[in-house]
Amino acid sequence: MGTAEIAVRRRNKSERLDRVGRLARGKFVSPKNVPELLKQIIEHGDIVCLEGDNQKQADFLANALASLDRKDLRDLHLVMSCITLPAHIQLFKKGMVRQVDFCYAGPQGTAVADLVKAKKFPVGAIHTYNELYARYYIDLTPRVALIAAAKADRKGNLFLAANTEETPAIVEPTAFSDGIVFAQVNEIVDKLPRIDIPADQVDFVVEAPYPMHLQALFTRDPAAITDVQIFMAMVALRGIYEKYEVQSLNHGVGFNTAAIELLLPTYGEQLGLKGKICKYWMVNPLPTMIPAIESGWIERVFSVGGEVGMERYTAARSDVFSTGRDGSFHSNRAMGQLAGHYAVDMFIGASLQIDINGNSSTVSKNRITGFGGAPNMGCQPTGRRHPSKAWLKAGAEASPGPGALPGRKLVVQLVETFQAGRVPTFVEELDAQDPSIKKALHGVAPVMIYGDDVTHIVTEEGIANLGACRSIAERQAAIRAVAGYTPVGLKRSKRVTQDLRARGIVQLPEDVGVSPSQVSRSLLAAQDIKGLVRWSKGLYDPPSQFVDW
Amino acid sequence: MEKFTKAFPSKPLRVPKDRQWALAGVVGSGNLEVMFERAARASDTMECHVETSIPGFRDSWLAALADFARHYPVGGTKVTIHDQGAAPVLVNLRLRQAYDHLVKTKP
Amino acid sequence: MSQLHLFHEQTARQRIAAVTDAGSFAELLPPPERLTSPYLAQLGIPVSFDDGVVIGHARIDGKKVYIAAQVGQFVGGAVGEIHGAKLTGLFKAAARDRVPCVVIIESGGVRLHEGSAGEIAIAETMRAIFECRARKVPTIAVIASDIGAYGGMGILSTCCDFRVMTEHGRLGISGPIVIEKWMGKKAYDSSNRALVWKTSGGKTKYLLGDADALVHDAAGAVREAIGKLLTKSSPVTLKNAKARQKELEKRLKRFGKTADPDDVWKGLGVRDIATASLASGPEFAALAKAGRK
Repeated sequence: MGTAEIAVRRRNKSERLDRVGRLARGKFVSPKNVPELLKQIIEHGDIVCLEGDNQKQADFLANALASLDRKDLRDLHLVMSCITLPAHIQLFKKGMVRQVDFCYAGPQGTAVADLVKAKKFPVGAIHTYNELYARYYIDLTPRVALIAAAKADRKGNLFLAANTEETPAIVEPTAFSDGIVFAQVNEIVDKLPRIDIPADQVDFVVEAPYPMHLQALFTRDPAAITDVQIFMAMVALRGIYEKYEVQSLNHGVGFNTAAIELLLPTYGEQLGLKGKICKYWMVNPLPTMIPAIESGWIERVFSVGGEVGMERYTAARSDVFSTGRDGSFHSNRAMGQLAGHYAVDMFIGASLQIDINGNSSTVSKNRITGFGGAPNMGCQPTGRRHPSKAWLKAGAEASPGPGALPGRKLVVQLVETFQAGRVPTFVEELDAQDPSIKKALHGVAPVMIYGDDVTHIVTEEGIANLGACRSIAERQAAIRAVAGYTPVGLKRSKRVTQDLRARGIVQLPEDVGVSPSQVSRSLLAAQDIKGLVRWSKGLYDPPSQFVDW
Repeated sequence: MEKFTKAFPSKPLRVPKDRQWALAGVVGSGNLEVMFERAARASDTMECHVETSIPGFRDSWLAALADFARHYPVGGTKVTIHDQGAAPVLVNLRLRQAYDHLVKTKP
Repeated sequence: MSQLHLFHEQTARQRIAAVTDAGSFAELLPPPERLTSPYLAQLGIPVSFDDGVVIGHARIDGKKVYIAAQVGQFVGGAVGEIHGAKLTGLFKAAARDRVPCVVIIESGGVRLHEGSAGEIAIAETMRAIFECRARKVPTIAVIASDIGAYGGMGILSTCCDFRVMTEHGRLGISGPIVIEKWMGKKAYDSSNRALVWKTSGGKTKYLLGDADALVHDAAGAVREAIGKLLTKSSPVTLKNAKARQKELEKRLKRFGKTADPDDVWKGLGVRDIATASLASGPEFAALAKAGRK
C-alpha cells in the first residue's frame, strides 16, 4: 500500500514537470513565464506553501500567484508562517483558497479580521512557528513550496545569506515527499559564497526582477526609549535578572527589552553583574545589543533571522554570532525556536493585553495577528531535563509536588499598565475570547502565552511573582496588585496586596532597590542610532529611515 | 479639557523651608508638568489642581493622587498639574521626581 | 560608570543648570507666577507655567549672564505673546545692564495660535538684540536640538553676535516640510532625514560660516564655547554688513546650482563624506580644516 501511494505522488510530480515544457530552461524560469508555470505545477486542491515570515518574503512569487484567478487555480490549501503581503489577501478575495494554516498576520491583521467578518477566511488553525513546521512533516506537507533566497548558482544551489530563517524548514519536508520547490532569487551567479540549500532539493529558480522584501523588524531607535521603559528595565534587571542570575535568555522585540540591553554596560556594570548574567542569547542580531557586545558582556548569540544593516557587524563578531564558512551571518528559524524553547532560562517580552489569570494576547476584535514564535519560548518546556541555577531557583519557588518538574523556565511579561492612548493592558477578559473569533478558530481562543506558564509580570508598579502563588485567587490578587490604575488594578484589596508584599510575591520597585529619581536616559549606553553606529566602529549600517547624518 | 480640584490627607512635609516650589516634567504630547508649592493651608492635606487634555479619567487620577499622598509625607503642599495625555505611570513618576526636588537640600 | 548626558536630550532647566555655575541660576517669572498663555487656555490647549521658555540670570565662570532656554516639547517651542515678551524683556535687561545674553533655542518659530502677537514679540526681541550689539553686549544663540531654530527664531538667531551649534542642531527659515510643499518632493524630500541634516544641520552651517562654533553634544562643551565667546562681540557696521553680503553672493555663485549637499561639503574641504558624516562636531571641524589645506 505504502509503496503504491508514494509511486502516485512521484508519478504526479513528473507529470507536473512534464507540463512545464519550454516554460523553463532546465531549472531556470524567466520572470515573464512565472504565472503560466505556476498554473502548470500547481493543481486545484494542492497544499501550497508561500514562504514569508515577519522578515523576508517570497514576494515576487506571491504576486505572480495572486495575478492568477479562481478559474486558473482554486481550492488551494495555503500553509504559511505569515500573512504579510497584500498579495496574500488577494488570494482570499479572489476565492482561490479552501483553507489556510498559518502563524502570524502582523501587517495584514486588520485585513484578516475583515476577512473573518466577511466569512472569507477558512482558517484551519493559527500555529506557533515550530508547530507549523512540524506539521509540514506530518499532515500539512506542501505539494508546492514557493520560497526566497539571496542567490542561486547555475546548478540551482541556493545561498540564503543572513536570512536563512525558515527556508530549510519548508524545503526539506517538501523536497523529501516529491513536492516541488520553486525559489525566487535576487541574483544568479557563477559561484556562491556558501551553499545553504543543495540544488538537489530545488526544482525551479527565477531571478526576480526586484529583490525580495526584507523588513527591518528588530531595529529599535534608542531615541524613542522613554523614562518609564528605563524605570521598568531597572526593576526587571534587579528583581529578575540579578535575583535569578539569568545566564541564557531570549528578548522580545519591544522597546522595554531594548532598554535592558542598553542598560547592561552602564547600570548593569554598576551593579557588578557583568559576567554573572546575560551571557547566552537566542535572539536576532538586535542593533541595541551592540554596546553590550562591545563591552564584553555577551558570549554567544543564535538567531532565527537576520536584521537589515547588521551584516558587516555580525561578520566581524563571528566569535559571538553564528557564521558560515564564507564568514557571513547565518540564522535558522526552526532551530532558533527550538533553542529558545529548551536551551534558555528566560523568555521576556511584552503583550498588548493580559487578563486577570495572566493569559495574554495580541488579538483584538478588529485586528487578528496570531502568534509567531513567542509561545514556543514563552512556555514551560516540560521536556527539559538539564538544570541551571535560574531554572532550579524558579522551580523551588513554585514548590513542585512529587509529580512535577524540579525546575521552571522564567517566563516574564514586561508591560506598562496602559498602552498608548490610555488603553489598559490589564483586562478582566481578553478580546481574544470574543465568540466570533473563537468560532472562526474552531473553539480555540488565540491566547499568546497562558497564565499557567507565566512566572512573573513586571510593570511600572512592581513585580508579581506568579510562580510563587499558591492558588488561582492569589495569582489574580498578585496581578491586580501590579495593574496600577487600570480598572483591573483599582479592584485590588490593600490588605491582600500588603500580605502578598510581605511574602515577597509582590515587590514594589523600592523593594528591589530602584527609585524613580535614578531614572535617566543618560543611563542608556547609546541614546540614538548614531550612537549604536559609533559603538560598532562604523560596522553597523542602519536602514536609511533611521539615518539623519 | 477637564479640570478638577481635590485635597487628600497626608502626613506633614518635614523639610526646611528654603525650597518653596519644585517642578518636574514638561507639557508635551503624552507628558505633563507637576509643580509642588508650599501652601498656607492645613499641614495635613495635599491640595491638588489638575488640568488634563484628555477627559474621562478622573477616577484613575484621584486614585493615583490619593496613593501618592498616602505614601509620601506631602501635607501642607499644593500640587498643580498640566497634563497632555500622560499615562498614569508617568504622572506617578513626575510626582515622585518633583517631590524629590522639593525635599532635597539646596546644593 | 560612563554616564552620557547628551545636551540635546536635556530639558530647558537642565540645560541652563548645566551650562552655568552651580547654583547660580535665578529664574525670573518662575512657575509659581503662573504666567500662562490666555490664548491656549481659550482654545482648550494645555498651558505651561513658563509658557515654554525659562529665563533668568546666572554666572558662567563667575561672570554674570542673562540666559534663556526654550522648551521644545511645549507646542514645538513656538513663540507666543508671553513667551516672546519674556525673551524681549531679557534682551532689553541685557542691553540696559550691559550683561551678555545667551539664548538656547529650540523652536519652530511663531506660535500659530497667537500669530500676530508672536510675530511682534520676535520683532521686538530682535530690536533688543540690536540694542545689545550697539552697546557691544555679547549675544549668543545656542542651537543644539533636533527641533532646531526655524522661522522667526531662525532669523532671530542670526541677529545674535554668535551661534554655537552641535551636529544635532538645525538652522533655517522654512522648515523641511514647507520647502517640500513649495518645491516638490523631487527637489526636497523632507522625509529624507540625512538630506535634511546635510542641508540645515550644524555641520553644514559650520562649514558655511553660519555657525561660529561646532561642539560636542555635551553641556560641558557648550559651556566652554559660550565662555570663549562671552568676552567678544561682533559690531554691526556698514562695512561688516557689506562684507557679509559679499560672502553670501560668493556662496550663491559657488553652490547655488548644486543639487547634492555632499558637493557643498566637498567644496568646503570634506574629503571622506562617510567618515565626516559619522564624526562628532569637533572631529568634523578638524577633518574639514585638514581637507582645506
